[in-house]
Amino acid sequence: MQSVIEVRDLHKSYGDVERLHGISFNVYAGQIFGFIGTNGAGKTTTVEILEGYRPRTSGKVSVLGTDPAQAGRAWRNRIGLVLQESELDPVYTVRETVGMFARYFKAPTSIDRTISAAGLSDKADERIGRLSGGQKRRVDVALGLVGDPEVLFLDEPTTGLDPAARREMWTMIEGLRDSGKTVFLTTHYMDEAQHLSDHIVVLREGSIAAQGSPDELSRQLGTTSVVSFVLPSGVTPAQLGTAIGASMVVEAGLVRFRTDAVQRDLTTLLGWAQRERLELLNLQVTQPSLDDVFVELAQSPHDIGRDGGSMPGE
Amino acid sequence: MNDLALAAYQTRYSLVGFLRNPRAFVFTIIMPLFLLVILCTIFHGLTSFAGTKAAAMYYTPAIVSYAMMLAGFNSLTQSVVADREAGLLKRFRGTPMPSWIYLAAEIARTIAVVICTVVVLVLVAVIFYKLKIAADTVAGLVVYTVIGTAVMCSLGLAVTRVCSTIDEAAVVGVFATLILAFISGVFVPETLLPAWLRDIGRVFPLEHLAQGLRMTFSVRASSGITGEDIGILALWGIVGIVIAIRTFQWQPVGGR
Repeated sequence: MQSVIEVRDLHKSYGDVERLHGISFNVYAGQIFGFIGTNGAGKTTTVEILEGYRPRTSGKVSVLGTDPAQAGRAWRNRIGLVLQESELDPVYTVRETVGMFARYFKAPTSIDRTISAAGLSDKADERIGRLSGGQKRRVDVALGLVGDPEVLFLDEPTTGLDPAARREMWTMIEGLRDSGKTVFLTTHYMDEAQHLSDHIVVLREGSIAAQGSPDELSRQLGTTSVVSFVLPSGVTPAQLGTAIGASMVVEAGLVRFRTDAVQRDLTTLLGWAQRERLELLNLQVTQPSLDDVFVELAQSPHDIGRDGGSMPGE
Repeated sequence: MNDLALAAYQTRYSLVGFLRNPRAFVFTIIMPLFLLVILCTIFHGLTSFAGTKAAAMYYTPAIVSYAMMLAGFNSLTQSVVADREAGLLKRFRGTPMPSWIYLAAEIARTIAVVICTVVVLVLVAVIFYKLKIAADTVAGLVVYTVIGTAVMCSLGLAVTRVCSTIDEAAVVGVFATLILAFISGVFVPETLLPAWLRDIGRVFPLEHLAQGLRMTFSVRASSGITGEDIGILALWGIVGIVIAIRTFQWQPVGGR
């Protein structure tokens, strides 16, 4: 596979504070690449370095074979940007705006086709000021696509959208997969990255916390199971803890614990219940979703890979 | 599409946006027109006014100079700050469009607006207030329109950096234009001002623009162009360009 974006040992400091601590990854042609992290993880810094907006402190960066810090007009003709927090002038119509941006590019794609790909055909002559938040965001995507770029940077395309608008945006992004474009998707929603991406990089505090395909990430991070059941009457959480040997959380009468050895711990639990003649009501074993894993990954860097500890999703 | 054609198209686009923006349209074109009509109406019967033969002869050049400041300084500053804070300038920088095209289009739009405003103001004065125009007046008017608009645009761009929101840009614009208008002989004839206030006014470009234009309109067989007025205007223009080049920002400055 041909690599479209290459990042090697990228560092970025602001004054004395280092925000990116040497990250490396590859994005391959035709991929939808999910770049995920919480606010402040260094996502925007990384993306803006790739887009040529910010200089880097050290490391090697190449986008379409060119260093974005040195790139010129020819390079800009080959990339499309959908920025975060960027508004459009509300007085122009969708068609006028897309038409104006089309002229900035050397070989733009059809204006009507771009508008229709963005699902805005019936709003083409509406002024941008009259569109809903989801529709405005789709105009942003149309502006990123109208130059027919090889690489599209999508910076948090669904932040602030309602669930329906978010789904529509997802459908639109999925449609890009067939066009052969490479998409660099930045998001802070794991479900979004999981749903859309071929490869995911999780950024935490300026370092890569995990990467892989959504399935790989699930396997890599999701080996932990959660066991839960109704706390039997007359049993204290402390007694349970001693019996099972794992740390328990009791919430609204429901006991939960996390384990990496579900078979062993369940055998112990069931044996103990049998001996004590207790009925474990509502006994469940669940895999935490990738979303839960991500929240844990992003928020508690010191607990990763450690047994017990806090519950995912808390 | 070559760059000049793109600049022309961007200018047209910018002009369409201007005409659809009621704030810009009213404060740049309608307000000076109303001011001219009101001032000429108030002082209409007078056979001599502040050294001229009629109020229209005094107020037409005065309001023309004021209109140039409104378009070049107020309106341009606000539109550039609004575009910058909306993230539009950043977005433009991310396209293959060379940055100069955006600025050229903003300035070209301002020039188009100034020309329209000046033509409307002069026509209204000629038709309703018996203003007489000679060939020399036209020559002087053209020269001062070019220089005045250039100076106001360069100063408008120079202050964009200190305005972090469109509201701040509006405050800077309205404050500067209104105060300068009063001490530059735009609303009140300079002969009525105390000498020290007149001296302060003479430091700033609006006074020289208004003064030069007044000579153009009132002195027979003269374009009204003097080295002093042109020199001071040029100096302000150069200062504005230098500050603009050194401080202009394409990314949002903040304030939201």
